[in-house]
Amino acid sequence: MEEADVLRKQVPSYLAEAQMIKQGAEARVYRGRFLGRSVIIKERFPKLYRHPSVDEKLTRRRTAQEVRSILRCRRAGINAPVVYFVDYNYHCIFLEDIVHSVSVRDYIVPVQATVQGTEHLQTLADKIGEILAQMHDEDVIHGDLTTSNMLLLAKAEHKNINLVLIDFGLSYISALTEDKGVDLYVLEKAFLSTHPNTETLFDRLLKSYTASSKKAPAVIKKLDEVRLRGRKRSMVG
Amino acid sequence: MHRTHDLEIFPEYTVTQLLFKDLKNAAELRKMAVNGEIKGALINPTMIVDAFQILVAANKAVHLHKNGKMKTRSLYSEIIFNLSPTNNISEAFKRFGISDSDNAVYIVLVHNKEETLNVDDIISKVDGQQIDVDQVSELTDAAIVKKLYKVAPMEERCGSLLDAVVCRMATKDVA
Repeated sequence: MEEADVLRKQVPSYLAEAQMIKQGAEARVYRGRFLGRSVIIKERFPKLYRHPSVDEKLTRRRTAQEVRSILRCRRAGINAPVVYFVDYNYHCIFLEDIVHSVSVRDYIVPVQATVQGTEHLQTLADKIGEILAQMHDEDVIHGDLTTSNMLLLAKAEHKNINLVLIDFGLSYISALTEDKGVDLYVLEKAFLSTHPNTETLFDRLLKSYTASSKKAPAVIKKLDEVRLRGRKRSMVG
Repeated sequence: MHRTHDLEIFPEYTVTQLLFKDLKNAAELRKMAVNGEIKGALINPTMIVDAFQILVAANKAVHLHKNGKMKTRSLYSEIIFNLSPTNNISEAFKRFGISDSDNAVYIVLVHNKEETLNVDDIISKVDGQQIDVDQVSELTDAAIVKKLYKVAPMEERCGSLLDAVVCRMATKDVA
């Protein structure tokens, strides 16, 4: 029996058994079992519209970058899924399944309608601002900050909000205030369009962000600039 | 008392784990592993936080073995190497392998399902008391593990020591 043949089928046949939960342009996300635990598998499938060698290079780099950012966040005490295994042949990342969690997006919608909702949401906004400031202090740029990419852990003690950041697929390392400003701008756009009438809530998030880091005021200043011109820097001149 | 676990990605492989304390013949065992009488990885249990850590190392070793991308010579040395946070092979053996003076040993066997594994044969070679692999936490030297993997107190806020260790093992080739 040719070993190489057996190997080629290994991960694909494993994924065929797993349950696909999301398909995007860049990757497919599955839920499965790994070493006895429930895991999330993110598979960056080959893009046939790219030249194979370019595709391989890009995919490998993005997989590595995603894993690096997660580790960097965790080192700084920012909760992100634990990486269990990385397969660079099939570009699969095996991640901790964050059980008993709800996305911030799904959390906000019903809570917004309730009477005591405002207070809950303010505490949450404070926490998000604080964590993003910490993340930017580590020079991690998430790249795709949305309320769907933040999970809230349901814990017995309701006082402590436990926030987990997920999907570092577009993340990178940068110390530039420009990049951090754009990161917040992307969140602002996503936040306000997903959750109507939350301008004051988002302001509160930014205030908390500002108060949580020495470098934050410069980022907020940059954010004001970015708001005027949009995400892309002017390339004129 | 040993524990077996199938690797979900490589269903034809099974990992068997055994743990012994009050070990008296560490030097002898090490010699047997070197000359191939014991086909298994002999690991220093003070560096092991949980059986899951072993499974992660074994799974990665099988993966690299099947891809022909191992950094060391055998599947078993690769398991020991995978446990280490650094890419220094001799240091990995020094820290994670057993030394002649050790009084406990964690044995990891990886075998194809078609092969029959004689666990009793291995057990008979060890002069020590076999205990449940979950009891490894009683043998863990958390202070040294934290130092070696460079786990700051900050990180333990967002997860267990096991999380920190496993995350580093899985990402050491790119981090």
